[in-house]
Amino acid sequence: MIEIHVFEHRAMATTFQARIQGEEKSYAAQAAAAAFQRLNALESVLSRFRPGSEICQASALLPGEFLRLSEPVFACLSLAKQMEQITRGAFSATPAALRNQPTPPLWELDQRTWMVHCQKGKLDFDLGAIGKGFALDRMKEILEEWGCEIHLLVAGGSSIRAGQPPLDLQGWSCGLGDNDSSQRYCLKNCSLSGSGLAVQGRHILDPRSGQPAARDGRTWALCDTAAESDALSTAAMVLSHKELEEVLKLNCQWLAWIQEKDLWRCMGNRPLPARA
Amino acid sequence: MVKSNLTRRDFLGASAVAGAGLLLASCSPGARSEAGTPGKAADDIHVALIGYGAEGAVLMDSLIKIQGVRITAICDIWNYHRNEGQRLLKAYGFEANAYENFEDLLAKEKDLQAVVVATPDFWHAPITNACLKAGLHVYCEKMMSNTIEGARSMVETMRSTGRLLQIGHQRRSNPRYLFAKQRLLDDARLCGRVTAAQAQWNRAVSEDFGWPKKFIMPADQLARYGYKDMHQFRNWRWFKGLGGGPLSDLGAHQIDVFNWWLDMTPKSVMASGGVDYYKTHEWYDNAMVIYEYPLPLGTARAFYQVQTTTSAGGGYFEMFMGDEGTIKMSEDPSICAIYREARAPSWDALVQKGYIRAKISAAEAADVVKVDVRETAPLAEYEIPVFFNKPPHMPHLENFFNAIRGTAKLNCPGDEAFKSEYVIHKANEAIPLGHRLDLTPQEVLA
Repeated sequence: MIEIHVFEHRAMATTFQARIQGEEKSYAAQAAAAAFQRLNALESVLSRFRPGSEICQASALLPGEFLRLSEPVFACLSLAKQMEQITRGAFSATPAALRNQPTPPLWELDQRTWMVHCQKGKLDFDLGAIGKGFALDRMKEILEEWGCEIHLLVAGGSSIRAGQPPLDLQGWSCGLGDNDSSQRYCLKNCSLSGSGLAVQGRHILDPRSGQPAARDGRTWALCDTAAESDALSTAAMVLSHKELEEVLKLNCQWLAWIQEKDLWRCMGNRPLPARA
Repeated sequence: MVKSNLTRRDFLGASAVAGAGLLLASCSPGARSEAGTPGKAADDIHVALIGYGAEGAVLMDSLIKIQGVRITAICDIWNYHRNEGQRLLKAYGFEANAYENFEDLLAKEKDLQAVVVATPDFWHAPITNACLKAGLHVYCEKMMSNTIEGARSMVETMRSTGRLLQIGHQRRSNPRYLFAKQRLLDDARLCGRVTAAQAQWNRAVSEDFGWPKKFIMPADQLARYGYKDMHQFRNWRWFKGLGGGPLSDLGAHQIDVFNWWLDMTPKSVMASGGVDYYKTHEWYDNAMVIYEYPLPLGTARAFYQVQTTTSAGGGYFEMFMGDEGTIKMSEDPSICAIYREARAPSWDALVQKGYIRAKISAAEAADVVKVDVRETAPLAEYEIPVFFNKPPHMPHLENFFNAIRGTAKLNCPGDEAFKSEYVIHKANEAIPLGHRLDLTPQEVLA
C-alpha cells in the first residue's frame, strides 16, 4: 500500500491526527501543519478555557447586550443553535445552564451584523460537544485546498472526518468502540463521532434537566459533517430511544448507534456504510 | 434539517445564512455605523489593510469589531490570501477592493484616511513611507523594518508629513499592562528596587510553512516582490534581508516591554545564538540576550530568551523582579502573577486602594503580643485586578483610530518604537560578534 503519512498535534485538551495519502511526505507535512494552524486559531476563539476568547466574551454578556463575532465563532454557534433545535434541546451550546439558573438562557444570532445577542439569563457557552467536530470540518477544507483529498482527520478518537479513501480501499476502517472493535465500517467523505462515559465518567449533562445523562452505554453518530456527528452523538446520550428515532426520521443523512451491553443498535435512515 | 454544507466558503457566501428561524429581524446600529454592517456613517475612518497573512488576519479580526472603521481595500501579493480576505470582508459587510500591489491601491483608493500594514518586515519601510507621503495615517506591525536605516526613514517621514505612525507593539495599549506599569510598578513601587527582568517566548519545532500547489506564484511575480522562491516567500522571517528571525518576530514585543517598563534603553547588550538546528534558515534557531539597564537605583539586567526548538519553560511572559516583589506579565492572563517578598512592606493598603486583589489574604496580627493557633495558614496570594475581555490587538488599533480622531495620543508612535527597534537589531548584531556591545542613550534615538 502507498504510505499513509500520519501527523499529530495537541489541541483542545487532546491529540488531533491528520493522516494523508498520495502526497510527498514533506508536502503532506506542510498541509497538515496548515490544518493544525487553523485548529489552533479555532481553539483560541472557541475555547472557554482561554480567558478573553470570543466565546468567553460571549459567555459574559448580560441580558440585552450584543457582541460582534468573528466568522468561525458565528458559524459554530449557528450550527450549535440548529443542532439544539433539531435535537429538541438534547444538545445545547449551554449544556450546564440549568445547574446555575432556573430556566435556560435565551440568545440569538444576527447574520447581518455578525452579532450574538443575550436575551435572557447567563449564557456560559460550552462548545465542548461540537467544537472538535467543527474544527475537523474546517481542517478538512484546508487539506482540500492543498489538494490532499485522501485523508482522515481524527480528534482525540472521539470524532473523525474521513475524506477520500486510501487507494484500493473502499474507505477508512472505522470501529465503534475501542480495542479494535468488531463493529467496523468503511467510511469516506463523512464523519463519525462517539460519546460515552468511559474516559471522563458522567460528564455529559442533559441540558433539559441539568442532570447527568441517563444512558450508560456508548453512542455514535454518522453524518456528513463532524460538527453534526459530534453534537448528535452527545445528544444521543440523553435522548430516549423514541426521541432519537423521531430526530433521525427528520434527518435522512444521519445514522446513530446505541450500545446496549454487547449489542450495537443502529437507528436512522441513512444507508449503512459497507462493513470493514 | 441542518444546513450541513456550512463550510467556511459556504458561510461566507451571501446565501449561506444560518437558518431564517435563528435570525433577528434587525439590529439597531448606533449613530456611527458598526463595523460589519451594510450602512455607513459620514465620520467612518476608511482603512486599507495591506498584507493579509497570519498577522493581517489577526488584525482584521479586531478591525471588524471596531466601531466607526470601514475597511475599503485589501492588498496582498498572494491571490490565495487576498481572495480569502476579500471574501471574508464581503461577508462582514465591507465592499473592499482587492489589490496585488500597494502602489495601485494608493493610486486608485482616493477615499482612505489610514492603512494598516502587516506585510513582511522588509516591505514595511517602503510601504509606510509611501502611505505617509500620500497623506495617510499608518498603523504598521513591528518590526518597523528589517534594517535600522529603514526604521529611521519611517520616523523621518512621520515627522516630515505630520501623519500618525503607530507601531504594532500592542502590549502598550493592553489595559492590564498599562495598569500594572502605571499603578503597580511606578506608583506603588511594588517591586521595590528592580534588579532584574526576564522574558521569554519558546516554541516547539515546527514545519516550515508550505503552500497549496495550485496557488504557487510565478517566479517573475515572486522576484518582482523580492523573493527568491515560494519557500522564501512563505518563510521570510527566517531570511536575512527579509526579516529578523525570532528575536524580531517574538522578541520585539517583549524587549519593547523591557524598555517601556524600565523607562530607558539599555547601556549594553550581549547575546548568544546560532543556526544549529534548522537546515533551511538563515536566522538563529535560538537566541539568548542580556541587556544592562542603568536604573537610578542601580543596574538591572534583563535576560531574554527565544527558543524555536522547544516549547518548554512555561509560556510567554515578561517578568520584572525587585527586592520587594515581582510582576509577571503576559498577554495570556492565566500566566500573569505578582509575588511579594517577605521583607516587603504590607500590601494591605494596595488591596484597599484596589491596586491588587488578595486571592488569599495574609494573616496579620493586630496585636503583636497575641497569636491564634489553628490549622497552617496558606501563603498569601495576590493578583492584578484588571479584567480584559478583548482580542489582544484591539485596544492598540482603537488607540490608533482614536488618535486619528484627536481623542487620544498614540501609545507607540514611530519615534518611541524606534528605540526598541534599535536595541533589538543590536542583539542580532551582537550574536556573531561574541562580545558585549555598548549602547549610548543618543544612538537609540531616530
